Amino acid sequence: MSAPLSHLDMLEAESIYIFREAAAQFRKPVLMYSIGKDSTVLLHLARKAFWPQKPPFPLLHIDTTWKFKDMIAFRDKTVRDFGLDLIVHTNEEGLKKGINPYDYSPSVYTDVMKTQPLKQALDKHGFDAAFGGARRDEESSRAKERVFSFRAAGHRWDPRRQRPEMWNLLNGRLGAGETVRVFPLSNWTERDVWRYIAREKLDVVPLYFAAKRPTIVRNGQLLVVDDDRLPLQPGEVPQMKSVRFRTLGCWPLTAAVPSTAADLDSVVEETLGARTSERQGRLIDHDQTGAMERKKQEGYF
Amino acid sequence: MTALTAIRREDLAPAFNQDLNGILHLLTCGSVDDGKSTLIGRLLWDASDLYDDQRETINRSSNAATGGAHPDFSLLLDGLVAEREQGITIDIAWRYFDTATRRFVVIDSPGHEQYTRNMASGASHADVAIMLVDARHGVKRQTRRHAAILDIVGVKRVVLAVNKMDLADWSQDKFRAIEADFRELTLRFGFREAIAIPVSAVGGDNVARRSEHMPWYTGPHLLEHLERIPPRDITPRGSFRLPVQTVLRDGLDFRGLAGTVASGCISVGDRVTDALSGQSAHVLRIATMDRDLEIAKQGQAVALQLDTDIDVARGAILSAADAPPTVAAHLEARAVWLWETPFDPNAGYFLRTATDLAPISTLSITSLLDLETLAVQPADKASVNDIANIWITLGRPVAVDTFVDNQGTGAFLIIDAVTGASVAGGVITTARAGAVDDASAFRLTRELLSRGLCRDLADSDEDRREFQRRASEAALLLHAAGIQVKIEL
Repeated sequence: MSAPLSHLDMLEAESIYIFREAAAQFRKPVLMYSIGKDSTVLLHLARKAFWPQKPPFPLLHIDTTWKFKDMIAFRDKTVRDFGLDLIVHTNEEGLKKGINPYDYSPSVYTDVMKTQPLKQALDKHGFDAAFGGARRDEESSRAKERVFSFRAAGHRWDPRRQRPEMWNLLNGRLGAGETVRVFPLSNWTERDVWRYIAREKLDVVPLYFAAKRPTIVRNGQLLVVDDDRLPLQPGEVPQMKSVRFRTLGCWPLTAAVPSTAADLDSVVEETLGARTSERQGRLIDHDQTGAMERKKQEGYF
Repeated sequence: MTALTAIRREDLAPAFNQDLNGILHLLTCGSVDDGKSTLIGRLLWDASDLYDDQRETINRSSNAATGGAHPDFSLLLDGLVAEREQGITIDIAWRYFDTATRRFVVIDSPGHEQYTRNMASGASHADVAIMLVDARHGVKRQTRRHAAILDIVGVKRVVLAVNKMDLADWSQDKFRAIEADFRELTLRFGFREAIAIPVSAVGGDNVARRSEHMPWYTGPHLLEHLERIPPRDITPRGSFRLPVQTVLRDGLDFRGLAGTVASGCISVGDRVTDALSGQSAHVLRIATMDRDLEIAKQGQAVALQLDTDIDVARGAILSAADAPPTVAAHLEARAVWLWETPFDPNAGYFLRTATDLAPISTLSITSLLDLETLAVQPADKASVNDIANIWITLGRPVAVDTFVDNQGTGAFLIIDAVTGASVAGGVITTARAGAVDDASAFRLTRELLSRGLCRDLADSDEDRREFQRRASEAALLLHAAGIQVKIEL
């Protein structure tokens, strides 16, 4: 008789179950692929769920145009290696208006360059379900999320109108205009994600590993300068420092941490021993009290 | 200030290859102000590896709320702005923490009576429930209500945390009296294990460490007890069940019936049956992306390839050939009404089982549970938070088990056909074999559908699914127009 299932085995099986339920119940799903470690795990689980077929849905990347160059390269390689369909969508209107992450507040920037284009892309292609890598352990309003997160027409999230979820029965019946965000990683923690990446030997964006990178310190946060678009303030001179990232977003809004962990084992070791939570380096979360909750109500995933 | 981190960081190493002893899902419930959020916050604070910035946030925001006397642990739980404003928990919050040996998932449920449905929803995911009472007030109406719900949704282990012992003079007499009431209450239900522990969540007494104030209590402290509970899933129980979620193909050679094993286990070479069609075949391959398995057991997500291409699609349940589920169109069940819109005998409803979705011809309420006395009262209506006994007649038979025989294939949701909302969740108490027997019902046959509505459909899996879908929708429309329907496909 084989050994009992480990907690990672149980999490993996649960995610596969969720993927299969969503694919069976929704008309036209899409996987929101944001290139980071959670997306990497999400995509790997999707491949397992439908193997030997390819996942029966395309990937959607909302490109703010401020992603690290390494991220875009990794995205394109992943899509090529696994033979997947990728849709890239940018809010051209926002781009024209010059909405950028340094002149505008994180909440305005996120709304215009992330939330709005996500809604535009879902509407344009008629997707009724979007898989996302959000985890309940990330943030307190996410701790309340359903696995099938119901959104009224117009993509609104109302925590009081969510459908109860009992046992493992998932209800995907939708009316016109209604959509669902599906979260197969709901019950994973950041540590599980890294343990799983190590166990499954998954490739991740090299930015997760320490290397010498040009950095500046702004508002107490360590930023890596990825190109010359960010106007340097007086006295700011990029310094080469050995840093890495715990979470990856738009480069002017994502802080790096000093680190020498340059391979997977040491990154995992460092993550499991970390003293601060993962999203501390995400400037968009700390803009105002209940920032994530508000963004979700407006349609952010 | 507090005895920090009962579990030291170095005990968590060696890092990534550390494998936790399964996952324990832990529900907390109790009335408002019994200190649920505080208890769980305390458990996280003392026994888990909370991050420094989370500790700082709690310390900072607590000063205002508690006058700086102690951290406000409940801030770790109440996540929504509306909840913080009102100081109550509206919906379930999920929390995750690891001790040296165990992954804990804490499902924190609301105490308010008006959110009982959310408590029931949370309870359906739990392996063990911590019920809280205030040591000064003892077992209350809400405790009875919660015990009844835990029993219905299948929670087998309960812990009564008698909280605020500090405000009850650490009195052994008070604790013993409450313990006796609790024992009497639990005897009415089918719990496998029920123990009472005296705690003070604010002080951390008997939460993650032994209390100095209650030397008369010699049982385990809360964390100790929780770590002793065997993990879910150690031995596959019951007969083999695999509800088919979808069919996966690879060219002409591979047709994999994909799903998660709901109970029992299956080996290559075993004979399996689809109860709905009555067809059987042998398991040729148990396929996963990593490798083929010799055996698949409860909880594993697999794709089975059979030696004969039997006509099986989503909604079927593969079972051991000698112990199939019941194919039933008449069900008796217990259910919790979850939705604000009350039961309407004229509305259209679907029954959502493990992977099947069947139109309901008649749904009737027979009685409601009186949560004051726990007596069953005859009734024909149900509204939000009610616990009802119900009768269901389906438009076509589905494969199910009773909940006591098999949790995975004995639970269901009732879905409103128009809004799609999950209006009730329940467990099957009796499943009567046999087809729909109403002689006056309109017969919606395969032939009738193939001739018209489904003329454009071929024989692929996808088309077969679409056929089912149209048949269900047609049945619902007829039902909504007041016509009894019998589906014969």
